[in-house]
Amino acid sequence: MLLDKIAELISERTGCGAGAVRMDSTFKDLNIDSLDRVDLLMDLEDYTGVQIELSEKVETVGDLIRIIEEKKKDAGKGEETENAN
Amino acid sequence: MQTEICRLLGIRYPVFQGGMAWIADGRLAAAVSEGGGLGIIAAGNAPASYVEEQIHFARKRTEKPFGLNVMLRSPFADEVADLAAREGVRVVTTGAGNPAAFMDRWRRAGCAVIPVVASVAMAKLMERAGAAAVIAEGCESGGHVGETTTMALVPQVCDAVRLPVIAAGGIADGRGFAAALMLGAQGIQMGTRFLCAGECTIHPVYREKILRATDRSTIVTGRRNGHPVRSLRTAFSRRYEEAEYRGASETELDVLGTGALRLAVQEGDLESGCFLSGQIAGLVKRVQPAAEIVEEVTREAEQCLKGTSRWVR
Repeated sequence: MLLDKIAELISERTGCGAGAVRMDSTFKDLNIDSLDRVDLLMDLEDYTGVQIELSEKVETVGDLIRIIEEKKKDAGKGEETENAN
Repeated sequence: MQTEICRLLGIRYPVFQGGMAWIADGRLAAAVSEGGGLGIIAAGNAPASYVEEQIHFARKRTEKPFGLNVMLRSPFADEVADLAAREGVRVVTTGAGNPAAFMDRWRRAGCAVIPVVASVAMAKLMERAGAAAVIAEGCESGGHVGETTTMALVPQVCDAVRLPVIAAGGIADGRGFAAALMLGAQGIQMGTRFLCAGECTIHPVYREKILRATDRSTIVTGRRNGHPVRSLRTAFSRRYEEAEYRGASETELDVLGTGALRLAVQEGDLESGCFLSGQIAGLVKRVQPAAEIVEEVTREAEQCLKGTSRWVR
């Protein structure tokens, strides 16, 4: 699901086919430079509603998806704690 | 000429001098600040001890505010970031990356953080991280460049953030200054024009190259490895470009580029030095004191802005 969205955003920005965007694709392979990465993160923040930190360690699409999933989980836990209180 | 950024930083004119690595030292920064603009010391790849000397040198020359440019890819970025906070430098500008990790430290120390950005998304990210303003730098500038021109970038950044925007890239006189204000900016940053300030200590060969430059004297290399850099066309840039085209390895390109900036600035070495310059170098025709440059571009901009009404009924 998230992979489809990322593929759509990358395809829109770079002109590569959405099929070329896989979990193990590196941003370098996809010709995503540092400014494209920031654009992508801002779009994904709007889409997912979670704030994503920019890190050089995020090298592949899979890395990015893992980070977003973890953030979503953390955000969910925060809400649960708030509700319990 | 006074805009919001002047009040915010306590400067007379909204004219910043770009933080050019190996070039913008305490002497140049102090001269620009004394002239009413905002001088900026460049940390480049230097250790904190060198930067500290430059800060203290500038403080001896001026009581006016000046800034420090932190190059985030520097191996000394962390210690220079600490130094900026410890010294309570009035303004910290940043280049080559995302300064989010240092923002809190600087803001707690009372530094106004003004990152250089080359895209709307980066400007928004910096606003969220607590920047006081942003410098929107178009690809006409010298050094590391993005893809978008100043003309296209500045109004889009102005629309996207609520912060004051400083325009950079392709500005060397009052016409560019006035145009930047028309695009929504509150000030300008110039690098190339200050290369020919009397207080700028670049090698005479470098200065002469700038004075003789034309509209087509620069080239961008380094696109292949994701770090595009604009510099003057020289034997060095031709060799680098050839290496890129023939598919030289990244290691080979790194070897070519290592130390090239210092060789240009300090040795004037046309064979192996990388002479960073903006596209506007062709407008720079004489050596002047930094204060005179600040005053002149401001007066020219005022004349331009007053003159525009003649086109409108």
